Amino acid sequence: MTALITRARPKSGLSKRLLNGRASASLISLAVAGVLWEIVGQAAKVPFFPPLTAVLVELWSMITRGEIFGNLATSLANLVLGFGLSLIVGIVVGTAMGRYRRVNAALGIYVYALLTAPSLVFAPIFFSILGAGQGSIVAVIFMYSAFIMIINTASAVENVNPSLVEMGRSYGANEWQILTRIILPAAAPMIFAGVRLGMGRAVTGMINGEMFIAVVGLGRMVTVAGKSFDGAAVLAILIVIITVALAAIALVQFVDRRITSWVPNTTKES
Amino acid sequence: MIEITGLGKTFTGQDGSAVRALDNVNLSVQDNEFLTVLGPSGCGKTTMLKMIAGLMPWDEGEISIAGNPVRGPGPDRSMVFQNFALLPWSTVLENVAFGLRLRGVSKSEREDRARELISMVGLTGFETKRPGELSGGMQQRVGLARALAVEPKVLLMDEPFGAVDEQTRRLLQEELLSIWERTKVTVVFITHSMEEAVLLGDRVVLMSARPGQISEIVPVPLERPRSSDVGGLERSKEYVEITAYLWERLREMHDEHRAKNPAALNGAGR
Repeated sequence: MTALITRARPKSGLSKRLLNGRASASLISLAVAGVLWEIVGQAAKVPFFPPLTAVLVELWSMITRGEIFGNLATSLANLVLGFGLSLIVGIVVGTAMGRYRRVNAALGIYVYALLTAPSLVFAPIFFSILGAGQGSIVAVIFMYSAFIMIINTASAVENVNPSLVEMGRSYGANEWQILTRIILPAAAPMIFAGVRLGMGRAVTGMINGEMFIAVVGLGRMVTVAGKSFDGAAVLAILIVIITVALAAIALVQFVDRRITSWVPNTTKES
Repeated sequence: MIEITGLGKTFTGQDGSAVRALDNVNLSVQDNEFLTVLGPSGCGKTTMLKMIAGLMPWDEGEISIAGNPVRGPGPDRSMVFQNFALLPWSTVLENVAFGLRLRGVSKSEREDRARELISMVGLTGFETKRPGELSGGMQQRVGLARALAVEPKVLLMDEPFGAVDEQTRRLLQEELLSIWERTKVTVVFITHSMEEAVLLGDRVVLMSARPGQISEIVPVPLERPRSSDVGGLERSKEYVEITAYLWERLREMHDEHRAKNPAALNGAGR
């Protein structure tokens, strides 16, 4: 029984240094990649792989022309709707599958089938039902991100320590109280691992939806630039997309840390 | 007050084999009695406790408390778990108040009550700590405070001090005695320690395994209150005689079991 396992917070001198160490490792890695990109781009002299500086110039001009903002807003709206929907479905269906064996038996096969099926296959179906608009894109984002969150939530719920549930029952908790006061908080750390994966897949779904179904937002910009063989513009938009994805995942991590601050630190080496 | 008549339960293993966990158990526990239950592993003592708690169904027989048949968990009983079963995301205060919260007691009222109990188990000053920051002994004090907070008539304790070190165990035993002397709640206490069974109990129920049956009920004629002089008690003639007798009986059971199952290894045969 180890006493005093506390989650290290970046307050003490030691953990601050470790945190800085990690941040500087990321920065060095980014700088090295940037320099390599520039060198290869300059040396190759091919239109579809321009050097980093050319891409940044193009990105800056997109920003100054204001072209990027409207498209970014469209894409983010799609992402928020699609991801929000699959988050709700992921947690509700996942919890039901993890807690009730019959639900698991009834739905498990579909969830696994849809997890492994290439999500774009459904694009024509959405296209014909929902038309070439936001509805289809939201549906594609949902197909990309929901199932990984369902499966992850289900196994998170299944793995909750049964003695906690027994404790709740012994104090007279009803099923709703057991779910909300015991199972969901206990499963939260593992649920969030799935939410992070789901968020990454939602961004992929957003771009694919915008490129192949309704040509809007950042996906439209990529398509247009690609058709005119404008390598710098394609890569500039890619940088924007990656930034969106990383920001979205950072948001999930921020919420995760707020909710699961009780989890003891892992043994991960700095 | 607790009446158990003809209690029986058969578990079916995964290979289809039947294991008789409890067989024709008859037991009556008086009001305010401290009853300890002792037996080798596999004798069904925890199974019986969970049935009294209303957490596990049985096949034959009847359990009633103050004349009311047990049909499930109830506010007249609360349980202390071997592995503490604390909510790791909740503070000590919230954990102790958990049972009251489930029963809809208002926040200020349940926190006042919880503070009272926290002080009774000697944890004042730790209200805002989380279980992960406490030693095993302190965690079980939280478990005990939580169980007493709901003012049960019957306190069910499932090897509560089995997971803590020897010194802590001694301190917890003395404190439990002194708390029980003040509150006079009815206690059913499961243990595999002969010393603990004799030190705490008014009577020791000795159970044998396969099938789980009550083999003998041994009265403990040691004077109360015992909390003030546990050391002197342990040197007394009665204490030494009873523990020696219990050891003899446990050893007989072990030998009988081995004679019946020559293949079984040493140590009560799992």
